[in-house]
Amino acid sequence: MNDVVRFESVGLRYGLGPEVLQDVSFSLDSGSFHFLVGASGAGKSSLLRLMYLAQRPSRGYISLFGRDISTTPRHELPGLRRKIGVVFQEFRLLPHLSAFDNVALPLRVVKARESEVKRHVEELLAWVGLKDHMKARPSTLSGGQQQRVAIARAVIAKPKLLLADEPTGNVDDHIAGRLMHLFGELNKLGTSVVIATHNEALVRSSGKRVLKLADGEVRILENIADDDADEFDSVFAADRGRVLL
Amino acid sequence: MKFRLPTRIDWRTPDLPIAQDDTTRFLPWLMAFMVFLAALSIAGMFVLADAARTLDRGIENTITIQVPAGENQRADEERIAGAIAMLKQMPGVAGADVLPRERVVQLLEPWLGSAARSTEIPLPWVIDVQVERANAPKAEMISALLTPYITGVQVDDHGVWLRSLLRAVHSVEWIAIIIVILIAVATAATVVFTTRAGMALHRDTIEVMHFVGAHDAYIARQFAIRASMLGFKGSLIGVALAGPALLLLTMLMGNLGFGLLPQIHLSVGVWLAIATLIPVAAAVAMVTARATVMKSLARMV
Ligand SMILES: Nc1ncnc2c1ncn2[C@@H]1O[C@H](COP(=O)(O)OP(=O)(O)OP(=O)(O)O)[C@@H](O)[C@H]1O
Ligand SMILES: [Mg+2]
Repeated sequence: MNDVVRFESVGLRYGLGPEVLQDVSFSLDSGSFHFLVGASGAGKSSLLRLMYLAQRPSRGYISLFGRDISTTPRHELPGLRRKIGVVFQEFRLLPHLSAFDNVALPLRVVKARESEVKRHVEELLAWVGLKDHMKARPSTLSGGQQQRVAIARAVIAKPKLLLADEPTGNVDDHIAGRLMHLFGELNKLGTSVVIATHNEALVRSSGKRVLKLADGEVRILENIADDDADEFDSVFAADRGRVLL
Repeated sequence: MKFRLPTRIDWRTPDLPIAQDDTTRFLPWLMAFMVFLAALSIAGMFVLADAARTLDRGIENTITIQVPAGENQRADEERIAGAIAMLKQMPGVAGADVLPRERVVQLLEPWLGSAARSTEIPLPWVIDVQVERANAPKAEMISALLTPYITGVQVDDHGVWLRSLLRAVHSVEWIAIIIVILIAVATAATVVFTTRAGMALHRDTIEVMHFVGAHDAYIARQFAIRASMLGFKGSLIGVALAGPALLLLTMLMGNLGFGLLPQIHLSVGVWLAIATLIPVAAAVAMVTARATVMKSLARMV
């Protein structure tokens, strides 16, 4: 089995509310690259949360790296999570730690040698253009800078699965391009990447596959330029309408 | 770009801002108070144990016989000599001696004052009987043996009341032990609530730590280290306050000079026992904090 992620008939509801996700079934191969699209409130963040084990499904089967998560004992979850890098929609940087220490966190929880931590973290922060902000607290950074710290933290330990929720939402096109390049490089090294985004142009120009989330269900669009063009268009129709208004 | 996962070594970093928050501010002072009380209880325990030992030695082996003075001292001395001879024949009796008159006067002086020296008052004769503890004769048996020869003989077995006093001392010792245990439980409970408050405050951070792959133990250790540091600080204060307080108490007791109370003396052992409260309190705080965190984390996703 080469699936990094497999969902079978997964349903998710919050409390007694309606099912946000119903009957979601799909699988992601190792080394794959997908954009996750869907209208606001469609459940993109919820789907990602299931994938990074922040949320348990109400029903259905989920496996990560070939392991059924419902039967994985608690003490083995950190092992799974270390293979997953996450860029949260709201960043979730630790406010009391510097940019450097935030990015270092995934290495420190695996008790990496401090000299290695320093080398890797400095290199990566320089790469995302934050060489001069290593010691800054998140609250003193701009939204885009915080986002880059969050991304650096997600990729520092070279995860097998990278999940990013709107990672280019707060940065200009130049930085967005750089970040996409970073994700691309990681992908080339074998990391499966899932990026939730509202950025239609970004998805179009990449030519990558799309996970489309609508009405609580997921469909994989193989080729948005051709066969699946109409379906892809429908996702953003509502958004475009809003912009026009 | 090549990011290799570095090799593992033990490295500690406080990723949680526990040190800066308010939830732990009162912990050291509570700990100080608890340790202070525990120190007093422990000192009390030692003093009582000392007293018990002294009493225990006192029980040893003496029965006192009082013979009222008769008209004639010579006759008295003969009767006493006869009684001593009879006593020495009894099984379980190791020896018997008449107490010198001067010693009897000394014993009675505290009660009678200078009158004890007056010849007006007929001082009783006192016979000290050393008995073998294992098969000591009962006071009544001695009384029965001597009464036909000497009227008004009175036999005191100190062992009887010393033993009941000893029992009382032992039960007070138990109470002190229970107090120390209760203090430990209260301390642990304080640590539990403080730790829970800390966890609630840092819930977000804890979640993120989980997402980046931290084990529960990694998170728990940070709370545990912090709690043990606060416990150490608190118990240091507690012991520092208990020391002078105990010295003062001993001095006051010494000045009162109760003849009945054994001389209070705080041995090196007492101070060592009190000093061990410092690492013990730190350890209690550490273990409790760790257990609390592990238990609450097990309920998280
Ligand atoms: N913690 C929660 N408790 C209750 N309902 C929630 C919770 N999180 C999300 N929801 C609901 O689930 C639905 C999907 O939310 P989700 O955040 O997954 O959408 P999204 O696709 O990420 O939206 P956006 O593009 O705006 O980020 C929404 O209707 C939202 O109200
Ligand atoms: Mg979202």
